[in-house]
Amino acid sequence: MDLTREEEAILNGEQGEGKQKAMELVTALGKIYGADSLIDITSAHLSGASYKTIGDGGLKYLEDLVGGGATVSVPSTLNPVGMDRTRWKEMHISEEFAKKQLRIIDLYGQMGIKKTCSCTPYVGPNVPSMGDHVAWAESSALSFVNSYIGARTNREGGPGALAAAILGKTANYGLHLDEKRKPTVVIDADIDGSVFSYSLLGQAVGMAIGSGIPFFKNISPEVEEAKALCAAMAASGSIALYHVDGVTPEAGNFDVSDLEVIHIGEKELQDAYDKLNKTDDVQLIAIGCPHLTEKEMHQIASFLKGKEKRNKDIEVWFCTSTEIREKCAEDVKIMEKFGPVLADTCMVVAPIEGTFQRTATNSAKAGNYLPTLCSQKAMCRDISALMELVM
Amino acid sequence: MIFNGRCICRGKAKGEVIKLEEPLSFLGGVDGSTGDLRVRDGNVAGKILVFPKGKGSTVGSYVMYDLMVHGKEPAAVINESAETIVATGAVISSIPMVDQIPSVRLFEDGDIVTVDATEGTVDIEGIVLKEVVSSVVSRNGKCILEKRPDTNRSFPGHWSLVAGKVEEGESPVDAARREILEETSIKVGEPLGTMGPLYVREGKVLFKVHVFHFDAGAQEPVINEENEAYVWADVGEAKKMKTVTDTILVMQTFLG
Repeated sequence: MDLTREEEAILNGEQGEGKQKAMELVTALGKIYGADSLIDITSAHLSGASYKTIGDGGLKYLEDLVGGGATVSVPSTLNPVGMDRTRWKEMHISEEFAKKQLRIIDLYGQMGIKKTCSCTPYVGPNVPSMGDHVAWAESSALSFVNSYIGARTNREGGPGALAAAILGKTANYGLHLDEKRKPTVVIDADIDGSVFSYSLLGQAVGMAIGSGIPFFKNISPEVEEAKALCAAMAASGSIALYHVDGVTPEAGNFDVSDLEVIHIGEKELQDAYDKLNKTDDVQLIAIGCPHLTEKEMHQIASFLKGKEKRNKDIEVWFCTSTEIREKCAEDVKIMEKFGPVLADTCMVVAPIEGTFQRTATNSAKAGNYLPTLCSQKAMCRDISALMELVM
Repeated sequence: MIFNGRCICRGKAKGEVIKLEEPLSFLGGVDGSTGDLRVRDGNVAGKILVFPKGKGSTVGSYVMYDLMVHGKEPAAVINESAETIVATGAVISSIPMVDQIPSVRLFEDGDIVTVDATEGTVDIEGIVLKEVVSSVVSRNGKCILEKRPDTNRSFPGHWSLVAGKVEEGESPVDAARREILEETSIKVGEPLGTMGPLYVREGKVLFKVHVFHFDAGAQEPVINEENEAYVWADVGEAKKMKTVTDTILVMQTFLG
């Protein structure tokens, strides 16, 4: 890999151990993926924020980084953590977990990372522009900024994205390059256009192609629909970029006439639904993966207004960011009659397996991860169908 | 014997090999506070840990860090191909790491190995390299397997493809043709295919096996004194026989 004189100096420890370790990591990853050089980034988004997912090894790593004086050099945001930092008791979280989780948030803060913890930073605190090179972890968010905004990032892991944030640079390979952003398959989609249908579409596409860059025809997602599509495809497959004919900013650059066309319609959506639904009986309904946007909060509140929660056996959680919860105070009042509106956490990164065994969600992403990361039997339906379970 | 790989994380180490044949997930595969392996007997602390590549959860990087915090980290890591999780774990934990070595089969448990990760080299003490050839000589989906005598030094009593040593100054393909002629009196033309090389350890000997596929045409083998018997076998038949390492793998590659 060609490094500049300054990059070589960092690698040789001339700017301190913190930057040296970061450079070692970014160059090692670059080597694995065949990068020829490093590239400046304008922002980073970091995963590895929940104590549940990083454990004591991760906590110690962060302690040591902060002890070594590491700080980020580009605007950086953090993924959801394992609990709402003030209302964690409502989530059945232990004191021990809470203490360590709060310490993790504090350590990220000391490195200069914005401490609102959300998987949808692109609707608020961290919005890249078209063509920006960035280093984002969090599979759904990085797919959103790649696809819907036209920024450029690979699927970074937590420590790699943090190292990139410290340096302000990442390895130049994969989706940073024009030729690696070309579509690989055309998806002819036949869906009803609801947000939930985009979740099922994403699930079906991930199941059909696994990886690659799909080019969609016959859909017109707005932010909420694109968010659901990104999350589903990144969980059922490993898709980090897609294009939508007439919608996403790079779609017009490509001639797709020679690509294979895959049709996703009623049968494929039913298969996707069946894959995500393994129980009819649940203890928890968790909505907000990825985090609910302002528009979704309004929609849920207007659906719930004047209604009553009758089933006391099923808990309901809504998940969003601190900013959105503060902005939507009126909606929150209505929603809280059904269950807590939790900020900066979600059902996947919280240790729900200590309390629940069967969980329902509207998210295909959560539907994939609840069984594997949280030992849950999962149900996946649209929000109104879920809320009817408790009315 | 020194082999060249590629530096993933700089540093030097010397130690005893502990080897896994399968890809390893540090999360679930290794206890972060003791170094005990959960996928086989043994402990990674202070060892040269050899496995093909990483897999599984990205939390594996932090398990490697946890090992380092507890003083139970491996002295070095050797992979065939590095992936993000193990590379990240090695770098953040300052564990010397090399990848792109030819095969994990170069190594056996207990080998004493010096890793110079900065230079990308791996030195296995006390082993001898022997270059050999092994050929699928086929007709109609079956190939010749020869039975080695029970007195044979290498794989006694096993069924083998047509195999032998590469002589000084001889190219592997010429060695393959010569061995086939000597052992079966069949004359073969240009190879239909090739693979490998494969590596097989037998004690302190490391065989580097060059593999070829030839068409036997209508010729019937006449075997020499090196072997006791021969058969024409397809993959299914060979699976029921006691065969030399990799025979089935090689047959599957060329005969389907």
